[in-house]
Amino acid sequence: MPRNTAIKVSNLTHTVTSNTGDLTILKGINMEIKESESVAIVGSSGSGKSTLLGLLAGLEVNTSGEIFLYEQEFSSQSEEQRALVRGQYVGFVFQSFHLLPSLQAIENVMLPAELKGDKEARNKAEALLEKVGLSHRLTHYPNQLSGGEQQRVAIARAFASNPKILFADEPTGNLDEENGKLIIKLLFDLNQSQGTTLVMVTHDNELAKMCDRQLVMSAGQLTEKSL
Amino acid sequence: MNFAFRLMFRDIRSGDLLTLLLALVISVSTVTSIGLFIDRLQLSFEQESANLLAADRLIRSDDDIPKEWEAKANELSLQAAQRTSFTTMMFAGDSLQLSQLSAVTDSYPLKGAYLVDDVLFGTGKRSTDTPKQGEIWVSSRLASLLKLNLGDQVEVGDASLKVSQYLVRDPGSSTSAFAISPRAVMNMADLAATNVIIPGSRVRYSLLLAGSREALDEYENWITPRLSEGQRWQTPTQRGERIGDTIGRAESFLLLAGTLAVVMSGVAMALASARFVKRHLMQVAILKTIGATPKLLGQLFLLQLSILFMVGALIGLGIGWGLQEIIASLLSGLMSTTLPEPSISRLWLGAATGLISMVVFCLPLMSRLIKISPLSVLQPNARIELNGFAIYVIGFIGMFGLMCLYTNGFLLPSIMTAAILGIALFVAAIGWLAFKLGRSLTSGATSGWQIGLASLYRRLIPNLFQLLVFTLIIMLTLILIGVKSSLIADWQQQLPEDAPNHYLFNVQANQIDQINSDTTQLGLKKSDWYPMVRGRVTAVNNTTIQSLYPEERGEPELYERELNLTWSDTLGKGNELVEGDFFAEGLSVELKAAKEANLEMGDELTINIGGNIITLPITSIRTVDWGSMQPNFYLILPKSALEDYPANFVSSLFISDAQAQAFYRAMAHFPTVSILNVGDILKQIQTIVGQLSQAIQLVLLCILSAGALVLLASVRSTLEERLEEGALLRVLGARGALVRQALLVEFGALGFFAGLIAAIGAETCLLGLQVFVFNAEASFHPLLWLLGPAIGIVVISTIGIFASRTVLKVPPVLLLRGL
Repeated sequence: MPRNTAIKVSNLTHTVTSNTGDLTILKGINMEIKESESVAIVGSSGSGKSTLLGLLAGLEVNTSGEIFLYEQEFSSQSEEQRALVRGQYVGFVFQSFHLLPSLQAIENVMLPAELKGDKEARNKAEALLEKVGLSHRLTHYPNQLSGGEQQRVAIARAFASNPKILFADEPTGNLDEENGKLIIKLLFDLNQSQGTTLVMVTHDNELAKMCDRQLVMSAGQLTEKSL
Repeated sequence: MNFAFRLMFRDIRSGDLLTLLLALVISVSTVTSIGLFIDRLQLSFEQESANLLAADRLIRSDDDIPKEWEAKANELSLQAAQRTSFTTMMFAGDSLQLSQLSAVTDSYPLKGAYLVDDVLFGTGKRSTDTPKQGEIWVSSRLASLLKLNLGDQVEVGDASLKVSQYLVRDPGSSTSAFAISPRAVMNMADLAATNVIIPGSRVRYSLLLAGSREALDEYENWITPRLSEGQRWQTPTQRGERIGDTIGRAESFLLLAGTLAVVMSGVAMALASARFVKRHLMQVAILKTIGATPKLLGQLFLLQLSILFMVGALIGLGIGWGLQEIIASLLSGLMSTTLPEPSISRLWLGAATGLISMVVFCLPLMSRLIKISPLSVLQPNARIELNGFAIYVIGFIGMFGLMCLYTNGFLLPSIMTAAILGIALFVAAIGWLAFKLGRSLTSGATSGWQIGLASLYRRLIPNLFQLLVFTLIIMLTLILIGVKSSLIADWQQQLPEDAPNHYLFNVQANQIDQINSDTTQLGLKKSDWYPMVRGRVTAVNNTTIQSLYPEERGEPELYERELNLTWSDTLGKGNELVEGDFFAEGLSVELKAAKEANLEMGDELTINIGGNIITLPITSIRTVDWGSMQPNFYLILPKSALEDYPANFVSSLFISDAQAQAFYRAMAHFPTVSILNVGDILKQIQTIVGQLSQAIQLVLLCILSAGALVLLASVRSTLEERLEEGALLRVLGARGALVRQALLVEFGALGFFAGLIAAIGAETCLLGLQVFVFNAEASFHPLLWLLGPAIGIVVISTIGIFASRTVLKVPPVLLLRGL
């Protein structure tokens, strides 16, 4: 059965203005990602990987070109609308975890569901934390957790809103090898069990290889790496 | 909505909202407590003055008081009393004496009390009664002049009254100037029987009122259009320029103090808001990535702020109320009177301060916070531009608005704002230079000095801002100390303990030697004798007063009545020449009187002295210190113009309670001499000054505590960076002592510069305040220059080290993980 297109990008260009003049970070990018696909975006530091991820998730507005999320043109929408789309379709995992320090683990995980007004937020969050092996850490605050544990909470939070697309920015970048492996396993397991589309920026070749496709970012251009 | 509440409770738990709440509570409670306390003091002064007036309000009339005036007072539930005062001859045996007699209704006095005694020349006991029908109270002086004892009869017109008390003080008539005949008071019910008041008699009728402010205000509105010429509405504060002046200055001070409290509260709110926003930047970005819309976030923060305001204002108002109760109860032991209850209606000021502070300091920052790009989560170093120009402008306007609201005027806020702006520029320039110099003198990181001084330059902008906050607070402290001490010193200087409290009038030239020798024998300090001739100004530059002021209203005081004229060979004590030559053959006019009558040097005044007309040009203008209690004159003429007229002489002297009896006995030999006792007014003023001085010290203490809290908040605002650095240094092997020394150097240097600049600023502001607001003379305050840097170094180092003690105690790894 042919899969739906989750993300479609055409002629995406992004230019930023700096002290030294305009700098074009992304130059006419075209790509398509199907539903439930896992895609790794690789490339050297400063090549524009994170910028692309930010644009795909609507965290920033591109200079020109079009981005479609489930056939909705995304980049021309207002900040308000983009936030709603994010709430509906998107989950995030960051390199530096970005848990809210003032909230307990369970409260961090509950956040996305609460934003949607889901009454079952707590139960879902408990179930997710159990899945990531942290049922004994529900009421701990982020600074009481190790890096690996924090990232597991972040993954639980990312899946809490049943996202159709999960964006991950160097999810293992701040972790040791053992914790990194655990996180990767969790990510892919949840990805498969929930049928989520996974878009991941990484430096880690091993991790990239585990994805269905690898896209290489170089000098603002995106190319498909043949496997 | 539920989500917003849940998120807020979680925020409260984390302490971030609590910091903001604390700032709000401090802000509201400081302004409330000072506002309420000032209100109570004002009410108290009004009461003190009411004691002098014998009522809350008084209507003075040259004609009988219409019946409906008292009926209206009764209708408004006001207490009312009447007093009828006139001068009359009293007889006892073969003695007779012109006396100042008051007839009063039974409810008189409505405020204050009589002082009466049953011993001749006694010091008196309080009495709120009035003489019974058929009785009269006479002053000791009148009794000795008429050779009366208690129980004797005295004749007043057709009536005969029994002397039942010696009158020491009659409330409400102590300031009726130049009522210099000896006094007596009788019951109103006996007045008709005396038949002394006949058409054409000079009688002063008074209706006295007391009651609630609202009823008095209503009565004032009712009576004002009904008052005709010769009828006046008097309030306590109008009475006695000196008391009004003293209270006025104290109010200015308290207002200034309160305004400074408002400024400090504003700074505290701004700091707390900045800290809140800083700590929530990432939170907002994260919430945005997981789908929170700007609209939702806006509602969320608005709701949080609203609840915060309600809770904070409520707690602040409660604490403010409690605080002023504590201040008042502390003062009650020191004050001679109990402070009246504050009016609840004053609470709005504290609440308004809180609300405006939140709107101008929190809202703009929050709106920026909501606009943070969610991309920040991918770029941890991305910083939101919080220090936008608009934010400063809004904060500035808000602060200015608050000050105007608080002071109900523009002058004080304008002076203070100009000063603060000037200081900000100065701080930026000096701070930048000093920090740069500190940096260039040190390199490396081997000593606390090097690390400390280097930190100052590295965190240039936050440190400059902190320097500004420190400077402002120390400056405000110094200003308050300076104003307080110069105010109190000024008052004490104005009212020395031995300021003359008695005037002697109607002294004939041949009595002077004997009185001089009597007073010397009694050890009394007496001013010079001034000859006095009565005269009236009838024309200015050959235009008659009648044609200048045909309405007989709004006439300058100089033309209104017969004046006491004098001549003198010397410019008397308390007189200062402003213009011209005092010794020239012309008139010397007092400055205010000249201004009121639009008189200038060279103008010619025509004066009628006992039917003789003389015309003289104005050859000098002088200021007079009316508070010096020396005999003072609006017009001084050349000796040649007055020496041919029969003059009587005037002098003033200080008589202590202990000397009073002997003095009055001695003066009984001079029945024609009139004595005016102003000691009671002086005592009242001294009491008020005493109370004010204590009150001001307490208010100062209150504000300084608020200042210390703001300092703490300011140090906390940059604490995280300092903690991080301290932890890193310790991880790298630095000993605790080195880190402590670095912190000490950093805070000590900040404190020193802040104190130094504050001293410069405070001195400048004090000059401005002295000259423009308090109308006092400018003076230099050397103590400030020592206090400033000393306070700066000690207080800021202590607070800094106290706030940063975690750096030294907690294992560095915990700090690094927590950051």
